[in-house]
Amino acid sequence: MSVSATTSGAGSTPSIAGVAKRWLGNGTLIIIAIFVVLHVGYALAQPDALSLSQITDELNNALPLALAAAGGTFVVLTRGFDLSVAGVVSIANVVMATQVGDGMSGALYGLLLVIAIGVVVGAVNGYLTAYVGLQSIASTLGTMIICSGIALLILDAPGGAVPEFVSYDLMDVLWDAVPVTGVVAAAAIGLWLLIRRTDFGTALYAVGADETAAALGGINVKRTKFLAYCAAGVCYGLAGYMLSAQTATGNPNAGTPLLLQVFAAIAIGGTSFRGGRGGLVGSMVGAATLLLMQKVLFSAGVSSFYTGMFQGVIMIVAVLIAALSARFAQAGRG
Amino acid sequence: MVKIKEPAPAAATAPEATLTASRDDRPAARRFWADSEAVTTTAVFAVSIVLILASRAISPAFGGWSQTQAILILSSFVMILGFGQGLVILLGGLDLSVASTMTLGGVLAFTWIGSSTAALLWGVPAVLLATALVGWANGLGITLLRVPPFIMTLAMGIIVYSICLGFTQGTPSGQASPFLSALYQYRLIGVPVIVYLLPIAALFGHLLQSRTPFGRKLYAIGTSEAAAFVAGINVRRLTIATYAISGACGGLAGIMMVGYAGGATLTMGQPYLLPSIAAVVVGGTSILGGRGNYLGTVGGAILLTTISTIIGALELPEGWRTVIYGAVILLALLLMRERILTAFERRFGRGGAR
Repeated sequence: MSVSATTSGAGSTPSIAGVAKRWLGNGTLIIIAIFVVLHVGYALAQPDALSLSQITDELNNALPLALAAAGGTFVVLTRGFDLSVAGVVSIANVVMATQVGDGMSGALYGLLLVIAIGVVVGAVNGYLTAYVGLQSIASTLGTMIICSGIALLILDAPGGAVPEFVSYDLMDVLWDAVPVTGVVAAAAIGLWLLIRRTDFGTALYAVGADETAAALGGINVKRTKFLAYCAAGVCYGLAGYMLSAQTATGNPNAGTPLLLQVFAAIAIGGTSFRGGRGGLVGSMVGAATLLLMQKVLFSAGVSSFYTGMFQGVIMIVAVLIAALSARFAQAGRG
Repeated sequence: MVKIKEPAPAAATAPEATLTASRDDRPAARRFWADSEAVTTTAVFAVSIVLILASRAISPAFGGWSQTQAILILSSFVMILGFGQGLVILLGGLDLSVASTMTLGGVLAFTWIGSSTAALLWGVPAVLLATALVGWANGLGITLLRVPPFIMTLAMGIIVYSICLGFTQGTPSGQASPFLSALYQYRLIGVPVIVYLLPIAALFGHLLQSRTPFGRKLYAIGTSEAAAFVAGINVRRLTIATYAISGACGGLAGIMMVGYAGGATLTMGQPYLLPSIAAVVVGGTSILGGRGNYLGTVGGAILLTTISTIIGALELPEGWRTVIYGAVILLALLLMRERILTAFERRFGRGGAR
């Protein structure tokens, strides 16, 4: 059901009502709509919210969480949990702050390094979960703790400096018009849209929706899960890379605050924790929405003691809106 | 995620899962070893005991009764949180708000009860009620509004933490209760009072989960919500009650923490969120719901505390200690995996039954 739900549309009636209902059922479009509404509200209150520098700031802030949430989505789609994000982001951050030289070559070397770290941790997670058969939440808890330890070994206290090429150029604006982080985000989304059309992409949804059916349908369930954890690891590595660019310094606990936020972003982005439904774009927009929410609450003058209260309520409301609209769409179709 | 070794029992018979075991004509000992939960529970306790004994090699002060006491006391908080968390996970849910309810419980106990012993009489029930209300709200959101448990409890955790922050204006004020502190400090025949209470609590929790209609119904819901509903179980009411229990467990852990630490802080609950889940999972409860028992969780809490206590005593940089902690958890999980059980069965157990 979920596979067809995400890819349906090509054959359905092109009436406006039909199109509207199909859109309502799509969690990604719902979260984009929520984001736009929130952003319009913010722009009305803060006229410079739509200026290039503000948007660049927003992208720079949101990209690390967005990439981390994108990674988590791979695993959640297969009905797993991946807690290792906190550890991988921390390692990537301290590596960028201590092991990498300056200039373009340093930046590239760092990029390869964080991707390699992500693949290795993801492969361990994937092996333990898919092939050994541990519960994903347990195996990734173990690797998360080990990774935080390794991060502490590389850098035992906040400090170090991220090469300037990374911390300046990646936070910059190209040709006075396009933020570099925007290009990175667009590339990530483009890559995902390609992946979704591959066999691996189809298998991801099938395994999450019904493992037994997927196996009977000839899908290699174990390999699909293994690859999902590896892909997730790569995304976490990149998230750590971009976080380093943003903070320009190293912190062995850099990833810890991301852990719960990643799952919040995935949830409000419309990806189901029961597996097989949702997508990476929703999670990335979900991440941006979470961070925008903080800005809106701050600019609305809410006492910082109580911002959490509003944030929590808005999170629940966002999920409710997505669920309700999906139900309307379902009712209309049925 | 988890390999389902045997097909789940037919939905309608799920509440009577114990009955299927008793219909078995295998000898009792073999039945015991064929029950993977019992094996995991035994293994968790065995590994803990072996680790405690082995720790004598690290320092002569270790491996004795006094260290065991210290471990039991330290694991009491995760044990209590793990009870509520375990019930919620049994349903197939997850409670991410326990850190905040624990903080709320601690802050309220610190402020409301203070040093007055008379205030304990109304204060403790009031704190438990307040935190149960938080859980009740979780349950309402999950059952009536159909918000996924993960996001409902995560959001509730953020909301409750924010309430604590606003309520205390940043710094909790109050007084430590001498009675609560006495639970940890007063010794009866050389052993702190709390150490006597823990096994009672563990047994009570185990019986509530495994031997009462309430507990058995939770197993049924966790196995298949639809089937449980068809079988006439009030799924909605039980789910709400379970989250309320988890909230109250958070409150109780907070009250106990005030007794142990003699004060409350706004971050007192945070370090216990992941351990509360880890203890449940290490204890053999399936994160998918429908399988697990509380004694396993108790063992999981003790095992995790044992590991961290022993590693804490090693004279190594924090990074190495953290790496070892994670590695030992993974190793423990690997050792207690069901496949070892299967091998064991093939060798000694199943022969007659097949």
